[in-house]
Formats: sequence, structure tokens, C-alpha cells
Amino acid sequence: MSLQRDSDRNEIKFLRKFVDLKDKRVLEVGCGEGRLTWQYVNETQTTLAVDLDRDALRVARVDCPSGFVDKVQYVCADSIHLPLAKEKFDIAVLAWSL
Amino acid sequence: MVHALSEIRRVLVPDGILIDLRPLADRWRVEVTSVRELKRTGHVTDLPEQTNGDIASNEAMREVERLGWFMREQDEMFPFTYSWDTPSEMEEFVNDDWQDFIDLDDDTKRATRAAWAVADGDSRVRIRMNVWIASWRKQTPEAEHTP
Repeated sequence: MSLQRDSDRNEIKFLRKFVDLKDKRVLEVGCGEGRLTWQYVNETQTTLAVDLDRDALRVARVDCPSGFVDKVQYVCADSIHLPLAKEKFDIAVLAWSL
Repeated sequence: MVHALSEIRRVLVPDGILIDLRPLADRWRVEVTSVRELKRTGHVTDLPEQTNGDIASNEAMREVERLGWFMREQDEMFPFTYSWDTPSEMEEFVNDDWQDFIDLDDDTKRATRAAWAVADGDSRVRIRMNVWIASWRKQTPEAEHTP
């Protein structure tokens, strides 16, 4: 299929306009297949990408660019029960998931 | 949704930032575009699940603001497009992936196919949606501050 999403890259432009991701610990809720994650992960200190969809996470792991694998970790979890300690993240991104 | 926002607040540091990024139901435009021209051919129909989802999300954010969990700092809308080589690919995607959220009426399908058939060779069809981005800062009531 010939699908192209956000060819003007507005999403990452506006995300960067709204928040400084540099060296931050980022939680992304609803990462899906990592479409948005890979656009910013290299700027962060670390990124934890969470989604409830195991198939989407599998794609995200397999397709993750090799240069980013040390920066990002994928976790299958429900956002109402995050298996995480308190006060671990500087920024949380709800990516089309609220 | 409020439970999820409570969890996110728990794992954010004091003064941490929450970014809420989501498309809003807004009868997204359908267009045929090429380097030379852009033609609007109709719009999608928002289905109840889409509009009710927006209402529930907005209510949840209002509730966490009322509770003093987060304070909104800024918000803005921006365009976000999905595009395909042909009208049939667009229709297939809408039927397969968005069938619960939007619909394409027959007039829009016909107008899109007609415009694409006579358009330039580099033409694509696209759906142009509005995405809302907002930043919220975590608020910590005095009683929750740890020494």
C-alpha cells in the first residue's frame, strides 16, 4: 500500500515546539508500532514506550532502527496499571491514546 | 481515562510534563493533491465512537485539572495528513482501519475518484485531519511534598 503519514512531519515539529526532549527520561503511552517514537528517541536520555497491543509492539521492536535500541525499551502494559516506580520520568507523551 | 492520568502523574517527577497528542473529530477534509494543484473533494463523516471519544478525553483532562493534578500550559492545533496513491487505497484503509470512527459518503467517494482520474500524474488522495497538542505540568499539592 502507498500510505504516507504526516509527510510534512508536523507531529514531531510540534512535539519539539512544546517540549525539550534533550536528555530527558520519556514515557510514551500508546507507542503502537513506534511511528512517533523513532522520530525523537535519539534526543532523549531514555525512552520507555508502552502499548497494550502486543502485535504492534512486536513490529516496533523488529523495525526499530539499530542505532536506537540502547535508548528505547518497549513494554506491554495497560496505562491504568503502569508497572513502574513513581517519579521516574520527566516527560510523558500520550500518543493518540487518551 | 482519569485512572490512566493518575498513573501517569504517579510516574512523573514533580513539575513533570504531560503531552496530550490526538486527532480531533472535525469532518476531516478529503483532497486530491499534486505538486501543481489541490482540490477539495469532500469530507469524512464522524461516527459516534469518534466524537464520543473526544468528549470523554476532554472531560478527563478537565477533571484532572479540577483535581489539581495537572495545569495546562499551552495548546495548539496542526494539520496531519494520510495520503495514498489512489482513491481505492484510501477507501480500503478507511474500511479496514477506521470503520468505527469515520465514514466516507458516496458523494465524497465519487468526487474524489473523478478528480483523481483527471488529475496530474503525480496526484495523490489524502485525508487532512486536525491534531491537537497540549502540554500539562504536573501539580503537587503541598501535602504531597516529601522533605
